[in-house]
Amino acid sequence: MAIIGFEEKEFFAPGHRACAGCGEALALRHVLKAAGQETILVMATGCMEVVSTPYPESAFEIPWVHCAFETVGSVASGVKASLIAKGDTKTNVIGMGGDGAMFDIGFGALSGALERGHKILFVVTDNEAYMNCLALDSLIMTKEGLKKITEINVGDEVYAFSQSTHELVLKKCSGVFDNGKKRVFEINTSSNTIKATGNHPFLILQRNGKEGKNKFVWKMVEELKVGEEVVTLKKGLEGKSYNFSNIKLSKKGDYKVNKINEVNLPGKSSPKIMKLFGIYVGDGWTRINKAEVGFALPNGKKGRKEAKQLIESLSWNNCLSENENELQLRSINIARFFDSQGFGKGAKNKIIPQWVFTLPLKEKQAFVEGLLLSDGYTIGKSHRYVSASYELLRTLRLLLQTMDMQVGKIHQQTKKKGVLVVKKQLLADSTYGYVCFSGKQGAMLKYANQNKQRNFLFGNEHFETKKILSIEKKGIEKTLDLRVDGEHNFVANGVVVHNTGIQRSGATFPYANTTTSPAGKIIVGKQEPKKPLTFIAAAHGIKYVASASVSNLFDLKTKVQKALATDGPSLLHVYVPCIPGWKMDSSLTIDISVKAFETNVFPLYEIENGVLKLNQKVPQKKGIEEYLMMQGRFKHITPEIALKMQTYVDARYKFLEENNGKKIFDTLF
Amino acid sequence: MVEKKVMSGSEAIALAVKLCKPLVLPMYPITPSTLVPEKLSEFVANGELNAQMIYVESEHSAISALYGAYATGVRSFTATASQGLALMHEIIPIVSASRFPAVMFIANRALSGPLSIWNDHSDSMSERDQGWIQLFCEDIQEAFDTIIMAYKIAEKENVSLPIMVCADGFILTHVYEPVQIEEQEKITDFVGTYNPKDFLDTKNPKTFGAFAQPNTYFEFKEQVQDAMMEALKEIKNVNEEFGKKFKRKYGDGLIELIEMQDAEYALLIAGSTIGTAREVVKDLRKKGKKVGLIKLKSVRPFPTKELILASKKLKGLGIIDRHISLGYEGALCTETKAALVKEKVNVTGFIAGLGGRDIDRERIRHAFDLIINGKEGVWLK
Repeated sequence: MAIIGFEEKEFFAPGHRACAGCGEALALRHVLKAAGQETILVMATGCMEVVSTPYPESAFEIPWVHCAFETVGSVASGVKASLIAKGDTKTNVIGMGGDGAMFDIGFGALSGALERGHKILFVVTDNEAYMNCLALDSLIMTKEGLKKITEINVGDEVYAFSQSTHELVLKKCSGVFDNGKKRVFEINTSSNTIKATGNHPFLILQRNGKEGKNKFVWKMVEELKVGEEVVTLKKGLEGKSYNFSNIKLSKKGDYKVNKINEVNLPGKSSPKIMKLFGIYVGDGWTRINKAEVGFALPNGKKGRKEAKQLIESLSWNNCLSENENELQLRSINIARFFDSQGFGKGAKNKIIPQWVFTLPLKEKQAFVEGLLLSDGYTIGKSHRYVSASYELLRTLRLLLQTMDMQVGKIHQQTKKKGVLVVKKQLLADSTYGYVCFSGKQGAMLKYANQNKQRNFLFGNEHFETKKILSIEKKGIEKTLDLRVDGEHNFVANGVVVHNTGIQRSGATFPYANTTTSPAGKIIVGKQEPKKPLTFIAAAHGIKYVASASVSNLFDLKTKVQKALATDGPSLLHVYVPCIPGWKMDSSLTIDISVKAFETNVFPLYEIENGVLKLNQKVPQKKGIEEYLMMQGRFKHITPEIALKMQTYVDARYKFLEENNGKKIFDTLF
Repeated sequence: MVEKKVMSGSEAIALAVKLCKPLVLPMYPITPSTLVPEKLSEFVANGELNAQMIYVESEHSAISALYGAYATGVRSFTATASQGLALMHEIIPIVSASRFPAVMFIANRALSGPLSIWNDHSDSMSERDQGWIQLFCEDIQEAFDTIIMAYKIAEKENVSLPIMVCADGFILTHVYEPVQIEEQEKITDFVGTYNPKDFLDTKNPKTFGAFAQPNTYFEFKEQVQDAMMEALKEIKNVNEEFGKKFKRKYGDGLIELIEMQDAEYALLIAGSTIGTAREVVKDLRKKGKKVGLIKLKSVRPFPTKELILASKKLKGLGIIDRHISLGYEGALCTETKAALVKEKVNVTGFIAGLGGRDIDRERIRHAFDLIINGKEGVWLK
């Protein structure tokens, strides 16, 4: 969708892999629209390069060239000189880079190009840091149980592996980032499956021979090899019984309510109710409108007897009615109680809700026993559970991993109508899966040394090492990542993985928290001011320098066109919010940019022929807190530091105001 | 026929570059290559060469601008030495992977630590794994001729690789010798014009410098290796063509054999030391010793087959390295040993000339004495 007043044609085509809400991608797209077809773009190594050009793909509809991180100034000079040599003075040359490429490592090359006077527009996309993720269906172990990565909130306590003690610790999640659609890989061990992007780090055991010391190292997915050992979770923390939430109950006297609804519902989970839930997940249904919870347990099936005993022990037998194929609990309140526990509906949509993961081991075991009574069977010491719900099998596999069980992979198969599956005849062609598991052999303890060879963390209560069996390239999926305080890792689909990194640059805002300028107890965030790149550029004597922001795309367009019409070098400093780097919501890119303008954090100005001109004045200046509170990277800011930041912003703005309309630099070209 | 002119090595190299008509010249001066950009600036300032000089702020930028020029589809050139080449290291493999047929002159100089401006081969030897063809020169005429051959070899479609023309700093760059300068017309006819298929063009937009995932990176390197194998053939072809046109050629283009027809013992040397070694061989031959020389012109691609053939009748072969892979031995020695692993010849290595130490007749004679007597190689200090 094009904005009116902008070129409709896209030169930065959709389908690139930038984060949703990425400010830099937005700036890039509109800079190119403003510059038009007759443009060669020279780009630095960085996000925009990586998201746009994984060989053999390219998102660029104009000629585009990338060499290395710090070479925008020099490559652009080579391109410009070559165009001159060919007699082409018309084609625009734009050099574009982020913080590193322009403020830091590539600063020398930029300065060289400004000094040589070639007519090149340099666009600095400033996201105030140097700025990797899991697929969206990843399940994360938290204190509250298993959660989808999409459901994790900042502040949630997640399972983490202590690299010093090798113990299971709970750590607070300090950020959730949408990393956009990316190519993902699927990593399999004998009992874990996880999808992650190629640059996502995993904790790997590095064996250093008999004499050497083994240690754990982080390795990116792309560097992982089959046979390497990853750290995996084998047993969760001992949980507590779950307090069932209150549901609206019908009382005697309510419309159409009879006496059988006077039942006692348990307030807390127990092995008994969990076993019944297990049977329910396999063979049960709820029909609220008929006020019934049913169990498909025909006469002779072993689950039928157990279910009846459980119902009796829960004192629900007054609601029980039965025929040769089914057991039924006829009570609106029991129906509501079962329905509210989150087991899902219908055979294909059943799941294990997250609260089950937080239960004491005994209750989890009772639940699994219940499952086995319905759709499972046992051969020797090995159990097999069959279900038509892939999600149920996936969550069961993870649950078993918190119970110190040996779990196999999920097998899927399609059977024809009429075939017997777990003693039931299929009514139609049916796809279903199964997962095999067994308790760990106690005898293994006798051979600790041998076991240590196989599982370095042998004897560890919560973690073990497992060999990677396969690494497969999968499609392009939406991805997310978490940031975890302290240990910088978390347990996703039972595998210990590392979180994202965002590093400080010369352009990072003072006191901001990055991975290399952390908000520590003594040193709180970045201690240095922003490098005044626009003024340094203008001091080269070039004719046009300006600041611009994605908050005002028309202003950006005007400035790009003005710069391209300038005789000699020009520079645009563009404010671009970074979703993961700033720990911000991907829908707030423009809001934060506007706020940066309204608080004078990022004023818009031009230095044309050496004369400074403030473009727009803020009608009513807002306090910096309004800007800070929108971003996770400023979460640690105390009122005292906020005051220092306000002083910094005010002083910079005062300089602009005092010099507004004045010639502050000589132009040399 | 053009007369021979006496000129410095740097001047001859600059003249050869001028005759190949590059359009863009990104330059950053460094001893002992500085005279080349100086001379080229003079040509441009006097209107003798119609090219864009880019006075960059570092060698890193010089090679990056060279990359930019080739991306834009223009013939270019730069020159450097020692620290300058080391600073370029990051971009060196990017140029070769991009298959840009750039030509760069290296005035071989020792790498610092401690600082030295004098000659050895540690600078270019450190870059030999990065996909650039490396051609070494014995004298100024050869340096002049090699620049011209380099453009032709590099721009062959089946090669498309950058070339370093290496000549010993000071020993060749700052010495005056009579050089036969060929006519512009003949050189233009020999080198041809540079018309690449792919370049930055707004009418036909293309992406240069995309990044590779593990599923493609490997193939990029494989293709450079394949092109290197093609270069083994093309270097020979261009040397033959050059010989026909200009009545001068350098062995088979990859190696040159000197007194090797009945030799029992030989030294393998790259660069200007060959000149001194020729005199030693003459002396020893007079004394009835069956000795010869293998002049290694092409260090990359490494002429394995040619070296095997040349060593068939040898009893002993010594390699004089003007560089050492610290912790092991001279790199040319390691590589020659590997090439001749199935041959009977006894191969041994000598380290000589580090940081500008002379490799004189006595040292070369000493090396011959040791290999003739079946002794191990030593440091010719």
